[in-house]
Amino acid sequence: MDLELSEEQSELRDGVRRVLEEQCPPALPRAVHEGDETGAALWRQMVALAWPGVAIAEAQGGLGLGAVELCLVAEELGREVAPGPFLATATQLAPLLQEAGSSALASERLGRIAAGALTGTVALAEQDRWELGRIACEARREGGGFRLTGHKTGVFDGATADEIAVVARGDEGLGVFLVPGDELKAKPRRLLDPTLALADLTLDGVDVPAERVVIAPGPAAERAVSRALEVATVALALATVGACRRIFEQTLEYAKVRRQYERPIGSFQALKHRLADMYLAVERATALGYFAALTLAEDDPRRAEAASLAKAEAGDCQRLLVGEGLQLHGGIGFTWEHDLHLWLMRAKAGDALLGGATEHRARLARQLGLVAA
Amino acid sequence: MRLSFDAAVEDFRREFLAWLAEHRPSAAEMAADPARSSAHLPDWSRRWARQLFDAGWLVPGWPPERGGRNAGPVEQLVYLEELMRAGVPRTTNPQGLGIIAPSILDYGNADQVRDYALPILRGEKAGCLGMSEPGAGSDLAALATRAELRGDRFVIDGQKVWTSGANYADFCFLFCRTDPAAPKHRGISVVLVEMDRPGVQVKPLPEIVGRHDPDLNEVFFTGVEVPASQLVGQLGNGWAMANGSLAHERGMVWLDGVMGLQANAGRLIADAPHWLENLGATERAVHVDAVVRAYADAQAARCLGYRGFAKFARGGSAPEQALMKLMSSEARQGLALAGAELQGARGLDASPQLGPFPGWTPLEQYFVTFGGTISAGSSEIQRNIIAEKVLGLPRG
Repeated sequence: MDLELSEEQSELRDGVRRVLEEQCPPALPRAVHEGDETGAALWRQMVALAWPGVAIAEAQGGLGLGAVELCLVAEELGREVAPGPFLATATQLAPLLQEAGSSALASERLGRIAAGALTGTVALAEQDRWELGRIACEARREGGGFRLTGHKTGVFDGATADEIAVVARGDEGLGVFLVPGDELKAKPRRLLDPTLALADLTLDGVDVPAERVVIAPGPAAERAVSRALEVATVALALATVGACRRIFEQTLEYAKVRRQYERPIGSFQALKHRLADMYLAVERATALGYFAALTLAEDDPRRAEAASLAKAEAGDCQRLLVGEGLQLHGGIGFTWEHDLHLWLMRAKAGDALLGGATEHRARLARQLGLVAA
Repeated sequence: MRLSFDAAVEDFRREFLAWLAEHRPSAAEMAADPARSSAHLPDWSRRWARQLFDAGWLVPGWPPERGGRNAGPVEQLVYLEELMRAGVPRTTNPQGLGIIAPSILDYGNADQVRDYALPILRGEKAGCLGMSEPGAGSDLAALATRAELRGDRFVIDGQKVWTSGANYADFCFLFCRTDPAAPKHRGISVVLVEMDRPGVQVKPLPEIVGRHDPDLNEVFFTGVEVPASQLVGQLGNGWAMANGSLAHERGMVWLDGVMGLQANAGRLIADAPHWLENLGATERAVHVDAVVRAYADAQAARCLGYRGFAKFARGGSAPEQALMKLMSSEARQGLALAGAELQGARGLDASPQLGPFPGWTPLEQYFVTFGGTISAGSSEIQRNIIAEKVLGLPRG
């Protein structure tokens, strides 16, 4: 197994990093926090660079790359706490459409995503649990289509996305339905990290015509949703690790320059050991994250397990990095004026969304046969 | 990034597997006469070393005259993976094969290569590594064992401790102080000392688990005389050799820890349902979480190891490698502890078998793992190394 980026992948990473360092300095997420920005210009820039279609087939107008490259962009965006529709559109909706096979609907929408003409998201969680078995939102056959009734929570970009793929339960199992965003009642959530926009949705009898059924209720849809959720999960895991790596870099730098008792605080062994542990946490989460991305790229049978390992690890990583990063910065990191909190809040969000470390360890326990599935 | 290696590497793997199936010592043969220390060479081990050496499979990365076949790093990795997977030790004198023989090949003269290095490679002799002392553990450069050059002989006085395999070894690769006036890193040299020389006394230090087959020893040197020609390399280059010798196969040392973790994690997952059966729901959830964490640690170590290796194989720097010893040894400890706690009071039972390779119980295994977190640079030293050498934090 070769777990290091290829030359092309490194070039992509460097290119993405260069653009973001210029287009998404900390002032941008800060402005989003302070309410004067939405990041629209940054999104236009990403579209110009074809990032939304990084993992969409060339035939559909994308770059034709895979899950590793998709996650690599996500990691870099996490690194800069970038706002905008990338996570929801490129790591949630697009992978789900790709699971829909060769349907004209999916193909057409993927083309528009790749062209930057469409943003979207997936409405899956209910009561903030991203578990397929807990989905109660109902899809009842009505005329030639379906009528959707229920509640969705924690929908990324739920109040702003052009198209929302709603996962709902019909008589034959879960199905996926594409609903224009403005047809749903969305209640935006006021978050500690407003650079991620979440909304809760109410579906009170939303009619979906047959031509907007992405995958009809049944086992195939359930499998497609699981697989797409794996992609979204690994992308978010790496985005979280990206934020953690920046926390680590800033804390390390601070420990080298901040002097007390006539020496840099980083020369004290009590801090050295904690920084070594933080570094280890970031490196192991990166390694597990890219292993998971690789199982997705090669469609390896270990992909579900690897996705949960990656997300659980990213969660544990942020737990250490947020706490230690803030503690080791001392008072300055506690102020609004210092930028550290931008990453702290993003890292916390990255754990809690799409299932936190505890939920993913529970999934692993089921996958490993330690508890009943 | 790829999950598999390319076809040429897989051909190499198949070639080795075919050879291994034909020549490997059987499990029964190994169990009947197990190696009792890290310098004990049972008959099967001697035969096995010779077969590996003659076939060019002992150190595949070396040239043929040293028992290799000029294999590249990825091939060497594949070779080690398959040996470990097959449960066949590459050698029963790991310090001899991994450190002493290569150091003599690099620094020694032709006579030393003939009399010490080649016999190790061919399974004819076993060596032990005389490094730590009561006053020089993590701080090796503080060593005090004195080798005084008197005419054509060294006279050696001092004490080593934690010397693995000294109770079975034929000779010692001894780090000693030849110039007490020089700064502490400079006055150190290496001398080869036969263990049956007058004045060499070995006193085993049985460990807290498995005391009937001690591997660690104290070694006392009292007026031991050896010819000056037993000096390896130049006077005063012991420190360079200590650093260089520990760097042999540096790109691969992580694999042992990772493969061991994989095997232990597999056993834990297989055994856990039995122990979880009679627990209440809350206790079960707590133990399950601990077991999954231990399993995740093993997977993280595997991914981190392979990621570092990929950088190493491309000739780049691989900071991951500085993390692997710390991570693997602590993960092994955590894994054993999760297994031991899962067994509750039953975990207190001693394993029924005596001998050097018993199926340790998780609690015994837990104690054994402290060998990993204490020796060869304790976890505390590893964290210092990471902080200073990798992260560039100033020395305190």
